[in-house]
Amino acid sequence: MGDIGLNIAVSGLLAQQAAMDVIAENLANTNTPGYVSETADLVTTPGSDPLGIGDGVTTAAVTQASDGLLQTNLLQAQGAQSLSASLEQALSGVQAAFPEPSETGLAEQLSSFWQAWDGIVQDPSALAPRTAVVDLAQNLASSLQQGAEQLQELQTNSQSQLGNVVDQTNTLLSQVAQLNTQIVAVEGSGAPANSLIDQRNNLMNELSGDIGAVGRVMPDDTMTVTVGGVTLVQGSFADTLSVTGSPGSMVIQTQTSDATVPPAGGTAAGLLAAINQYLPQYQQQLDTTANDLETTVNTQLAAGYTATGASGSTEPLFTGTGAAGISVNSAIVNNPQLIAASSTATLPDATNDGGNAQAMAELGTSPTGPDQAYRTFIESMGAQLQNVQNQVQSQTSVVNAAQQNLQAVAGVDPDQQMVSMLNYQQVYEASAKVISTISTMVDSLMAAT
Amino acid sequence: MTSPSPIGNTPIIYTPATIADQLVTNIGSDQSLMATLEEQISSGNLVNVPSDNPVEAANILQINSSLARAAQYSDNATDGLGWLSQGNATMNQIISTLQQVQQDVLSVSGANLAGNSTALQALASQVESAREELVQLSNTQYEGQAIFAGTGNVTAAYDANGDYLGGGSAPTRTVSPGTQVAVAVTGPSVFGTGSTGLLGNSTGNIGVLAQISADISTGTTSSLNQATTTDLQNLQNAINQVESQASVLGAAYQQMQAFSQQASNSQTALQTELSGVQSTNIAQVSTELTQAQNSYQEALWAASKVSQNSLVQFLS
Repeated sequence: MGDIGLNIAVSGLLAQQAAMDVIAENLANTNTPGYVSETADLVTTPGSDPLGIGDGVTTAAVTQASDGLLQTNLLQAQGAQSLSASLEQALSGVQAAFPEPSETGLAEQLSSFWQAWDGIVQDPSALAPRTAVVDLAQNLASSLQQGAEQLQELQTNSQSQLGNVVDQTNTLLSQVAQLNTQIVAVEGSGAPANSLIDQRNNLMNELSGDIGAVGRVMPDDTMTVTVGGVTLVQGSFADTLSVTGSPGSMVIQTQTSDATVPPAGGTAAGLLAAINQYLPQYQQQLDTTANDLETTVNTQLAAGYTATGASGSTEPLFTGTGAAGISVNSAIVNNPQLIAASSTATLPDATNDGGNAQAMAELGTSPTGPDQAYRTFIESMGAQLQNVQNQVQSQTSVVNAAQQNLQAVAGVDPDQQMVSMLNYQQVYEASAKVISTISTMVDSLMAAT
Repeated sequence: MTSPSPIGNTPIIYTPATIADQLVTNIGSDQSLMATLEEQISSGNLVNVPSDNPVEAANILQINSSLARAAQYSDNATDGLGWLSQGNATMNQIISTLQQVQQDVLSVSGANLAGNSTALQALASQVESAREELVQLSNTQYEGQAIFAGTGNVTAAYDANGDYLGGGSAPTRTVSPGTQVAVAVTGPSVFGTGSTGLLGNSTGNIGVLAQISADISTGTTSSLNQATTTDLQNLQNAINQVESQASVLGAAYQQMQAFSQQASNSQTALQTELSGVQSTNIAQVSTELTQAQNSYQEALWAASKVSQNSLVQFLS
């Protein structure tokens, strides 16, 4: 009988020890990303005693806190936040390339350009005001070219970033597949694979931030990873992604089936939106500004005449197409007198007439000209960036909330662990007390016989 | 020990990691708010980038463009006023020269000078030099441009023979949207053309002044009679013509002044509108900044206290 009592007390000691190990493990991993709080599952050992007294306690398993959908919620929130954050970065680049309102921006240059035509009106035959118009036209052309180049550079940067993200995603996907294999192997041998599962959760965190991946744990404890409904990891198999297409229709594809992977979130989705939608839109709006400028100025010039009565239609001021291609007619740069400032071809009236330049100067305030096109560009870019900035803010709080929810079940709370530790400590001491008491009881029996 | 479920009434457990994350987020947002407010104060502008307020940013660009246009209208009006005051001064000189000639001719009719060749020649040469003076006045320039040449000739309106070199229409300046005001009158409208013109013209007419000079110089009774009747009448008509053009210029000057005033008024109005949209309300923003600084310091203080208190400290 004393034998059995001792065994029960020892099982108590061992179980509390195991539980203390779990507490130590939890506390050690308090700050480890992806770590899920563990609990020692203590169960009664059924005994053969006719009175029904059990054989003490054993540690059945060490289980991880079940987080249910919380992990998925967090992944989705992180995916959405990464999308907005990467888009915000790209759009901030655009905003930095077009500093408005400012004394030096394109809007100010446009307005100086229009006013300069009234300078010609004040002295139509003089060279200086004409040279001023040509200089300002050249400034405008080079600013538009620079703007187009900067947009192109942002496009190139976004594409190379997307390439990096996809490369990293490929590495992560193959790591998840490797962990799947290891987890199946470890669990096959009967041991829990908690730390491997933690690692895999951590990889899923990165994957959701990169490409908005969603994971689903299968009955065999492997994780199936999908992005936008396309399965990328299943069991030990991991697909490889690549980027194809040109801006406007760039897509991420799987290697095995060439299936298009539509990322619902993550940095990749933000970059794709910038590459396919936002940057081409801004490029187009800037092109519209440049083309409007060219058409407006050249059309007005074509209605005028030079001082010698020659038609202005033969010497346009701007040539080229789009913001990247616009330049100033070199013939006019070499001889500003070719600017058709006169509204009449009749001589001698055309000699010192600035009627056409006068009409040109009034075009800057036109509600349909390049100024308006540029303002529309600035306004829509600003509005889109503001919207994305607001999204980043609200999604950050969504991520924080999802993290709190997850931490509430999966996180390690030292206070809680301390309380558990006290419990285990007291039970350990009590079990030890039982052993020493049984020992005293046996001693007293020995002494009596 | 079972983990609390977030579903139901179980309170959320704040682990040190959660608390730290939240503190970092709060400090970050406090910092970015402070940065925004500090930029608003240091630049004096409420809208520094389009994303601050897209609609107002576009509005500011629009106002700036209107402001530049208004400044140009003001500049155009100033240039126009220069032309018109030059024109008015020249007109006054022309009128006084012509009135002098009128006096000369009247002096012929008052005294019997027929045969008094010396006196007649002196008068004739006075009229002749008045004509030359008039040719010079007709070529008056403002900033290198002949003011009576219309848009035609840059440097001169008339040659020595009285041939008009300029164009048929006068230059104008834009002083308000769609409004142009003429800054000069053309030579023919001031000096006339043909035999009744002051300076004559290319078809061989010598003009009123040369005719007077010739008639006085001839010195016969009939030629002097011609000078004091027909010629004098022609001269009077020409003076009337010059005076009417002088009043045209005078009216244009007044109109130009009014537009100049209007342009600077609209500049002021636009500036007011711009500062209403663009300028930082320093009192308001600095109060907001103080609040942001306080909340930033509170967040920092909270961060410094993070996890200092834990059950661990009370167990020994």
